[in-house]
Amino acid sequence: MDFSYTETELAFQTELRTWLEENLPEGWIDGNRYIPEDNQQKGEFLREWQRKLSEGGWAGISWPKQYGGRGASLIEEVIYEQEMARVKAPPVLNIIGTAMVGPTILQIGTEQQKERYIPKILNGEEIWSQGYSEPNAGSDLAAVQTKAVKKGDKWSINGQKIWTSYAHLSDRCFLLVRTDNTGKKHEGMTAFLIDMHQEGVETRTIRSINDRRDFNEVFFNDAVAYDADVVGEVNNGWKVSLTLLSHERVGVARQTFRLQKQFDELVDLAKTLTSNGNSLIEDPIVRQELASFRAKTKALLFSYYRHLTTAIRTGRPGPEGSMDKLASSELGQKMLAYAMSLHGSSNTLWKDDALVDPSWQHDYLRSFAYTIEGGTSEIQKNIVAERILGLPKDIKY
Amino acid sequence: MDFALNEEQIMFQETTRQFLESKGDLAISRSYMEGNEQVSEELWDGLGKLGFMGINVPESYGGISLGALSLVPIFEEMGRAVVPGPYPETLAFAVPLLETYGSEAQKNAYLPQISQGKRKFTLAMEESGDKNSSPANIQTRAERRGEEYLVQGSKILVPHADIADTLIVPVRTGGSHSEYGISLLLIDTDQVSLELKTTQSMDETRKMFSVTFQEVKVPKTQLLGPENAGWPILQFGLYHLNAALCSTMVGGMDRTVDMATEYAKTREQFGQPIGRFQAVKHKIVDMKLALENARSLSYYAAWAVENNSEDMAEAVSMARSYTSEAYIDSAGSNIQIHGGMGFTWEYNCHLFLKRARFLENYLGSPRYHRETVASELGW
Repeated sequence: MDFSYTETELAFQTELRTWLEENLPEGWIDGNRYIPEDNQQKGEFLREWQRKLSEGGWAGISWPKQYGGRGASLIEEVIYEQEMARVKAPPVLNIIGTAMVGPTILQIGTEQQKERYIPKILNGEEIWSQGYSEPNAGSDLAAVQTKAVKKGDKWSINGQKIWTSYAHLSDRCFLLVRTDNTGKKHEGMTAFLIDMHQEGVETRTIRSINDRRDFNEVFFNDAVAYDADVVGEVNNGWKVSLTLLSHERVGVARQTFRLQKQFDELVDLAKTLTSNGNSLIEDPIVRQELASFRAKTKALLFSYYRHLTTAIRTGRPGPEGSMDKLASSELGQKMLAYAMSLHGSSNTLWKDDALVDPSWQHDYLRSFAYTIEGGTSEIQKNIVAERILGLPKDIKY
Repeated sequence: MDFALNEEQIMFQETTRQFLESKGDLAISRSYMEGNEQVSEELWDGLGKLGFMGINVPESYGGISLGALSLVPIFEEMGRAVVPGPYPETLAFAVPLLETYGSEAQKNAYLPQISQGKRKFTLAMEESGDKNSSPANIQTRAERRGEEYLVQGSKILVPHADIADTLIVPVRTGGSHSEYGISLLLIDTDQVSLELKTTQSMDETRKMFSVTFQEVKVPKTQLLGPENAGWPILQFGLYHLNAALCSTMVGGMDRTVDMATEYAKTREQFGQPIGRFQAVKHKIVDMKLALENARSLSYYAAWAVENNSEDMAEAVSMARSYTSEAYIDSAGSNIQIHGGMGFTWEYNCHLFLKRARFLENYLGSPRYHRETVASELGW
């Protein structure tokens, strides 16, 4: 066992650290982390951060050098997530583009698609979203009903997507639609790369329980796509989607490191808050709870390292990712709930009147999505049960 | 970055499992519980002959000089079969203590014998006071009389004292409640007369004794480490021992997950295997998740003791507090998945529950270990 990084990896870490210190918004590292609430201003803020990342060569780091990436190794990608979590860097607006759509186009896209899309994904000129879920296709993703019908060399798209992150800020969308209704439901889907700035596409933001508007409904009314926008082959969209998801190698690392940071902040919170004049960290019951969270947080990190080791040794990630996702989202939710309890009777004061930092209230509410987005805990448990333990599959219709 | 067992360690795991299966696997424990103590002697001899008792003994004393991490797979396998015998006490307490603090004479006397499978150690630490895990609880006294110590007092919860060749006994040579004044004595059972009283333990795979010392004479050369400064030495040994106990618990959890999974695949109700019902399969997933958490923490604890890392105390206490509770939960869930059969003496489910409950508060309760984590982190 060896927890150390190689010299090359350490150099990579130092380079990124230095760059972050020089390029994060002023005061960010010292804790003055302000992202505008207003959606338009927030969009501008995130685009600006994306532009900086791209210019600094810190977008799409795993891409091959010939396409403008760094050819980063899996470990370097992990270090990248670790450093970003350490400074709580702003979200990467074009993460769908750089982490998934770009690599998918490079793998199975046409030469024309590579030429058209790749440079603009990397430089952040075009922001991407991903149109998967629908009102009636959540956990049962293969039930998508949004339809594309071919007319000449054009496709006419009708239907609705939902939970599309940053759709309102995106320029293009990787869209999964039904093109054939006659066979099994996993067949007959096609993936398109579509233009979001057209008449037939309308996005409406969804107000979430944390009073933010990061998710959207997207309506398609005779929206147009062309043959040249098909990724892979027509009616092969399910496999193309799996290819897309397989490129998300470090999503779990991102969650794991975020949780380590949240735990450190939880301890700081307990040091800051007082009861009867004593810091909460001196309360024996609080110490017990925090020590318990500490063990679980570390367990998550070490389990991630074990699974990473397997991925490095075998060259591919296994179904263990579902265990990490399940464990981190459940634990994150519990930890933030505990942070709320620590706040005492002022726990529900938020925004400008928050007792300590409004991000606690915001993150607490946000954590309810952890166990839903990207596959609910129930779906993850099915995956672990069936693919790791070999238990019987659920009955499916 | 590499966080997994290496090839050699994986081989240890396979060899141990094959050996234990060849000896009857869980039947070893069942047979021992029914009074056939010979099975545990045969097991010890067999493991000695395979060279497993010398894994962490230095080469110069007949072992192969590996560390705590190499014991992890072996203890996991022992936990899977809830085997009887003071293996953790001998390999993960006596060996590191002798290696680090033993005199040359002590090393020569004990280490080669351990590695040949010819000497068993146990720990006689607990006393009947209510100050568990604190130095104040150690009240057994040892007074210097010339070249000897005169030991007076009694110890409880001494595992396998009936078959142990040497007891490691924390005694008080000075002070009354402080860390100062505690010394460790190596007491060979064939050299003294001890009063052993067997106690009825719910975990019948681990025989427990109370041991009374009535003016027992021990040569002063049997002092392990310096006089009166034995407390930190004891803690050092307990880090190793608790890390090893975690691995045995992880092995037990691993077995309960296997048992529950296997049962859920084969037991049918409502015309289908019960493992198809999410209420059942998700419960097993929760067991699996807790198992892997415990395993990750136990690997790290073993890594920390092997490398004598700065966070050794915290690493061990994190693993111990989490694993002790998780093992109880997993053993309980396994009974639930087995339904009525899990409640029978005949099925093996209860062996794991009882081992888990025994270990819960032995050498530090989860609460004690969590407080250790808190204070180690400077909270």
